[in-house]
Amino acid sequence: MTRARHTAERLIPGRGSLARRQAALLRLSTGIAAAQDEAAVYRAVVSGLHDEALGYNFLGVFLLDEENGDRVLQASVGWPGVPDRWRVPHGSGVSERAIDDGTLHYTPDVTRDAQYLPSLNSGSEIDIPLQVEGRTVGVLVVESSEPHAFGDDDFEILTAAAMQAGIAVGRARLLDAERRRADEHKALLDTMRDLVGELELSRALHAVLERAVSLLGVTGGEVAIYDEDRRELVVVASEQIGKDSTGTRIRLGEGAMGAVAETLEPLIIPSYHEWLGQSAQYADVMVHSVMAAPLTIGRRLVGVIATVHADPQRVFGREDLRLLESFTPQAAIAIENARLFTAERQRAEEQKALLDTMRDLAGELELSRVLQAVLERAVTLLGVTGGEVAIFDEERGELEVVASEHIGKDSTGTRLKPGEGAMGAVAQSLEPLIIPSYHEWLGQSVQYADVMVHSVMAAPLMIGRRLVGAIATVHSDPARIFGPEDLRLLNLFAPQAAIAIENARLYSAAQRQREYFETLVSNSPVAIVTLDRDHNIVSCNPAFEKLFGYPRSEAIGRPLDSLITTEATRSEAESYTRQALDHLIHGIGRRCRKDGTLVDVEVLGVPVIVDGERVGLMGLYHDITELLTARREAEAANSAKSQFLASMSHELRTPLNAIIGYSEMVQEEVVEMGEEGLAADLQKIHTAGRHLLSLINNILDLSKIEAGKMDLFAEWFDVVEMLDQVTTTVRPLVDRNGNALVVERNGDLGRMRSDLTKIRQMLLNLLSNACKFTEQGTITLRVEREREAGRAGGETVVFAVSDTGIGMTPGQMDRLFEAFAQAEASTTSKYGGTGLGLAITKQFSHMLGGDVQVESAPGSGSTFTVRLPANLDVPPHEAVDSD
Amino acid sequence: MPKILLVEDNEMNRDMLSRRLTRKGYEVAIAVDGRDGVEKARAGGYDLVLMDMSLPEIDGWEATRLLREASETQTVPIIALTAHAMSGDRERALDAGCDDYDTKPIELERLLAKIQAQLNRNA
Repeated sequence: MTRARHTAERLIPGRGSLARRQAALLRLSTGIAAAQDEAAVYRAVVSGLHDEALGYNFLGVFLLDEENGDRVLQASVGWPGVPDRWRVPHGSGVSERAIDDGTLHYTPDVTRDAQYLPSLNSGSEIDIPLQVEGRTVGVLVVESSEPHAFGDDDFEILTAAAMQAGIAVGRARLLDAERRRADEHKALLDTMRDLVGELELSRALHAVLERAVSLLGVTGGEVAIYDEDRRELVVVASEQIGKDSTGTRIRLGEGAMGAVAETLEPLIIPSYHEWLGQSAQYADVMVHSVMAAPLTIGRRLVGVIATVHADPQRVFGREDLRLLESFTPQAAIAIENARLFTAERQRAEEQKALLDTMRDLAGELELSRVLQAVLERAVTLLGVTGGEVAIFDEERGELEVVASEHIGKDSTGTRLKPGEGAMGAVAQSLEPLIIPSYHEWLGQSVQYADVMVHSVMAAPLMIGRRLVGAIATVHSDPARIFGPEDLRLLNLFAPQAAIAIENARLYSAAQRQREYFETLVSNSPVAIVTLDRDHNIVSCNPAFEKLFGYPRSEAIGRPLDSLITTEATRSEAESYTRQALDHLIHGIGRRCRKDGTLVDVEVLGVPVIVDGERVGLMGLYHDITELLTARREAEAANSAKSQFLASMSHELRTPLNAIIGYSEMVQEEVVEMGEEGLAADLQKIHTAGRHLLSLINNILDLSKIEAGKMDLFAEWFDVVEMLDQVTTTVRPLVDRNGNALVVERNGDLGRMRSDLTKIRQMLLNLLSNACKFTEQGTITLRVEREREAGRAGGETVVFAVSDTGIGMTPGQMDRLFEAFAQAEASTTSKYGGTGLGLAITKQFSHMLGGDVQVESAPGSGSTFTVRLPANLDVPPHEAVDSD
Repeated sequence: MPKILLVEDNEMNRDMLSRRLTRKGYEVAIAVDGRDGVEKARAGGYDLVLMDMSLPEIDGWEATRLLREASETQTVPIIALTAHAMSGDRERALDAGCDDYDTKPIELERLLAKIQAQLNRNA
């Protein structure tokens, strides 16, 4: 197999979407199946493949001329100037290879192939052998003007098309041969009718009757034929009985012949007019005595012969009867021959009619109807009692009976495992099977134990090498058995049933896919509407009906934007719609329901593009009324909270300022007055007031950060100057626990641009913490400038605060930066503090584009390291006017 | 003896700050709201104005603007006092025409340093 795997970019332009291609393949497949003769199959193949959605523009089907090896064109598309029946001689053109070895050949670049026959489309070519009954009979040639135009998809599609064409051609040829045979048969019978037709029968019977009359020396007689359908005798020959009785119809039991027909015994009536069984139809004849005898083949009645004496002197005796019976076989055989001949001619006519009607089925898509019709025709044409068709369910690996006809029960719905019963057996062996006596057969299925079946013939239904079902026909008459001729006839129906099943499968796959998407849309909680290019509604889903209050019937065909907008929002909505025809849009808007109420919606619009053409757009509406209400409520609540905190902190701070201020002032005054003893108490009031104030400030800071209302103010400042201020401020705290403060300034720190107030606050937080948790130890503030580019792309200033205090466990460190989380609740009472300082420090460090980290171990102190960009990238006046 | 006009609506703050400044050797006059402050300042004779920014009638921002507009008070040093230690306040105060600013609660040493700096500048 020289089928090259090909992964180059697809070059065939205008390829359709998957759904369009599936639809095109279904059309191709039904077109092939509906073809009424071989030539129509070839036309269906090329026209089906020459579909926009498939994109094959240059293609043809050749048949191999077996006499000289030429390829002869049967049908083509896109080859202007190429004659009908164009012959490509043996030995030229690349398509011969597919015929030679019976496999697909891909020539990605034909200009590099010496055997290529130059044409307009000198790009790439695929050649797929066309096989009928396993024999290569021709080739399907598909060309592109571009090299490397085809890929695996094409191999699959074209192989499938060639396979279906092969099946259809096989069937067309079979059907064609069968029709010819039926035509010939009928013509022969028609000729014979003229020679030995009905006239001949009546003449033959007349001759028999005449001879009988003269030999028996009777006055006259009659011969009647038994009409099985009407269970009546029809008089066809009449001689000297006093009237011409030809055409008289006689019921069983009526008159002499009717009596004989009923009893199948000869009868002598000495005096007809005194006989009780006489028929009113013979009341006026000049008859005295009558003798009648049945004409039979085996035990089957075919007619009656009767002779009469008009002379009262003559009566019939045993010898007369013996003589009459010597004529009966002749008459019976003549009648039977004529009957068989008529029946045969009738069957030939029926066959021809049936074969003609088979093509009517091909376009039908409803599987059970097609299969039932195929089965009915098969039953009639094969002259069998009944039959069944089953589909192979690939998922469950079982056959399911879908059509059933006269097998003694309705077997529709019966499921058969491979190997079970006649159809199960052929599904397993993939070979046809004839079972002469079903109930003696070891493979019989218990599901068919009760059917009136004698012999069975079954065949698998195949598409290529794939099993799609099985067909079976049965005789309940033990006298009938199946032979090779029956199998040949069954093969007329099998391919049609197989193609019908395959088409139904393709159709239902396409249908399922469509249903899948339809279900998605109709169950979506989001309102979905599609519009044409003029903005008119094409479809909408139940969620749309519910959201806007318009039933589908009312919405469809109307312009969307006049339906669900008010004057105020119309132009905005129309602008969305216009844009969405071109590209995806997303927005928030307010739309109007049918009852006039407004609804806030999130709108998503996308163009609907089918095969590169903008056919309209799809709009999705999500009701966000609740969302907006919730947001407004949240915003209101948040703003109330901020307002409360702002006024609360102001209200708290005013009296606090008095406490702090007066305690400080009075302290100064008592010192001046020499009342030192009171000064210490006043200092305690002052310290407590300060603590309370810092608590309030921190809470206010955190709530501002949470609300996103903490403003940044970036300014240039000298780092060393800032450090001096901070250390001056923190000095009293350092001294309180007998600690030493060491400031290490590594290198030139220079200036930085950031929020000075926040950095000061962070450093004071860290330093005062260090002081709090360290006694008689050392607090170190180490500062350095990292010249290499930091996270934000510029230089970084690093502030590290270390202490020799109590330290922390890893578990304590985990919660360190959360609000109100001092390492342990117990530490709060011992060391004081709000537990908010580190949370604020962390938030500030992030706001300033940096971070804060901690290293610690219990008993060996802690180090907090703040890293900040040296040049904070925010506008100098960002959001100054909040608060 | 430098004369300071303290514009402050809160009685306790006013009492406390005026007493402390007096003890530090300043002559302190008092205004109870923005309008009063502007009137007294324009009447003249002050070396410096301490202006609380949140005041009834006319707030401190507006009062400062009015003082800067009037020729007689165009150059008198004004130190803004704000309750909120917001980074923006300092900039805002300077923009409004103040010469310096300080936050409440007052740290006397810090405020005295700022007052002295302004008086020295204008001396």
